Amino acid sequence: MKNKAIRISAVVLAVYLVLGALFYPIAGESLHFTADSTETVSSKAALGEFTQGDLIQQSFLCEFDDLQTLTLLVGTMARKNTDVIKVELTDKYGTVRYSATLDTSTMKDNSEYTVTLDPMIEDVKGQYFTLSLTSLYGTKGNSVTFYYGNSVDTGRVDVPVEIEDTEALYLNGVRMLDDENNLCGLCLKIGGINRHWFGPAYWYIYAGVGVLLLLCLIYLVRCRSKGKSNTILGVVYSLKRYNFLIRQLVARDFKTKYKRSVLGMLWSFLNPLLTMSIQYVVFSTLFKSSIENFVIYLLSGIVCFNFFNEATNMCLMSIVGNATLINKVYVPKYIYPFSRTLSSGINLLLSLVPLFIMMLITQTWPTKAILLLPFVLLMLFMLSYGVGLILATMMVFFRDTQFLWGICSMLLMYLTPVFYPETIIPSQFMTVYKLNPLYHVLRFIRSILIDGVSLEPKAYLYCILLCGIPFLVGVLIFRKNQDKFVLNI
Amino acid sequence: MIKANNITICYRMSHDKIQSIKEYLVALIKHKLRYEEFRALENVSFEIKKGEVVGIVGNNGAGKSTLLKVISGILKPTKGNVELRGNVVPMLELGSGFDYDLTGRENIFLNGAILGYSESFLKSKYNEIVEFSELGEFIDIPVRNYSSGMIMRLAFSIASMVSPDILIVDEILAVGDAAFQEKSYARMTELMSHGTTVLLVSHNIEQIRRLCDRVIWLDHGHVVAIGDTQSVCDQYAQSNK
Repeated sequence: MKNKAIRISAVVLAVYLVLGALFYPIAGESLHFTADSTETVSSKAALGEFTQGDLIQQSFLCEFDDLQTLTLLVGTMARKNTDVIKVELTDKYGTVRYSATLDTSTMKDNSEYTVTLDPMIEDVKGQYFTLSLTSLYGTKGNSVTFYYGNSVDTGRVDVPVEIEDTEALYLNGVRMLDDENNLCGLCLKIGGINRHWFGPAYWYIYAGVGVLLLLCLIYLVRCRSKGKSNTILGVVYSLKRYNFLIRQLVARDFKTKYKRSVLGMLWSFLNPLLTMSIQYVVFSTLFKSSIENFVIYLLSGIVCFNFFNEATNMCLMSIVGNATLINKVYVPKYIYPFSRTLSSGINLLLSLVPLFIMMLITQTWPTKAILLLPFVLLMLFMLSYGVGLILATMMVFFRDTQFLWGICSMLLMYLTPVFYPETIIPSQFMTVYKLNPLYHVLRFIRSILIDGVSLEPKAYLYCILLCGIPFLVGVLIFRKNQDKFVLNI
Repeated sequence: MIKANNITICYRMSHDKIQSIKEYLVALIKHKLRYEEFRALENVSFEIKKGEVVGIVGNNGAGKSTLLKVISGILKPTKGNVELRGNVVPMLELGSGFDYDLTGRENIFLNGAILGYSESFLKSKYNEIVEFSELGEFIDIPVRNYSSGMIMRLAFSIASMVSPDILIVDEILAVGDAAFQEKSYARMTELMSHGTTVLLVSHNIEQIRRLCDRVIWLDHGHVVAIGDTQSVCDQYAQSNK
């Protein structure tokens, strides 16, 4: 018996070591740094021909650890120009940190032109810079122009923004104003890199967690050989003991779900595809969504949200619906919501099949980041089970829960970027908006599937916290109340 | 063996059962949240040795079924505790775990799993279960098409196909037609005779006299008497006259 426990512990440790080692290359450079860029103001007007001696000055605050690119919106008047523009970047002390000349003949009309700082300027987070552009040879008929404005694009409408004094645009020393005397800013995107401490520290953390896990396992093995019980051992024992029952219950859910339908299991594939088709038509033609790769964006959102919705609704009824059984036979009560969540989980795995097929059709090729998918799905599972436990408990005492939850889950769907881009949420609400765990799950899964990269370390933390807390709360509430269930159903 | 120490079960009965948040709030505001304590069992203690067959008698509402639920772990006592060794198989109500959309075969496994049987045990006993239930080829059609007799037969066959250490029986389950009743009765007595500890609730006093080694007499949640079958049964019969 003791040997078996040691063998299982060794397997657990080995799995950790392998997964942890694999994680580092899979997550790749996103553990070390994230490249990002600021949003530009929408173009409202052009500055006019930018000729010899003209000077543009635009100050900005650097939000990144390292400053890497400057992207300007240029106009070439639909012709080839030969002017050369001098770029200078000075910091708040007036020191020139970067200077270069730009060949206007390589610029395209009404498009973004990116200046890459080589080498990039490091460690400048929170500092003010001034970008100065001077035309060296520009003449009327052989010059370019730059765009400026004072509003931002929120997807469908432009919202005015207040440009601060310090970030005003100067042309030849004069502040640019629009018709209503509001300050304006240059259409300028600042690109940079945020470095994370997590990447360099990864192997130390890996080793530290490994040692903790080892100690934990040793403790558990000792507990076991001494016959002492604790929570973790209890969970392992009961999962082992009721494994057969859980499998039977999941099989039951699955068999009865499609038992009397003609298409049967095919519905698991069809359902998300059909929902996606309808929403695709609605949102791409009626509401003119500007999201890139909208098919996958939408489908991944629908698949995840459907799982959450189905799992929580099934859990909600799992205790009340099994009242006769709970009254007659002793089975640990957590098994009912657990088996329900598990069968929804299998449904989720099935509906990933059409998602992958659509990825192939839209030529969204998977990268190594797709190996992170189990992590996101596990988080989503934990979240759904946790919320399901809370709902199942509430349902026993208050039957209103089912109706309330119907409304709440609809609200939650609109609070989650399933079919709209997160950019339409006004930035002042973003902090509250980000408390929605589903937001983080979707952001993660889309980054993996659509962009093919892992997110920054912080995103993992948010995912784990925001999915783990509902899970723990659910387990605690359920455990505290489960003995009262029999008396109330 | 089973050892019950001072079991008390206390229900909180509100006068009108509150089942929605609105009703709860209204009652709370009106200060009408009154609960009445109802003790289904009070300080029940006894000890049952391994292999004993113990009967429980008492009038309706005496707490017999509640006691069985406490021993099988379905209800947790408000006070006191139960110590027991060995696996407990409750035969409280047949077929409560059936899914009517599944076939008889699928239900054997589902119901067996609910009753706590292992997979290997069920597989080895599968043929025996089907044979005992006399369902034959009907085993592969959905249970919703069964007659009620067939359902009871299948349920009994699954529930009785065990060798428990402790068997808990709420009324001797004689189901089906006369022939099957005889068969199931024989099965029950066989189950009880193999050194199994049995707790039996029955209103049939003759059955108790015949089967039990000892008897517990419950009334309104209290133990009136524990002891030798014949004397307790006599007392009980006397009180009912």
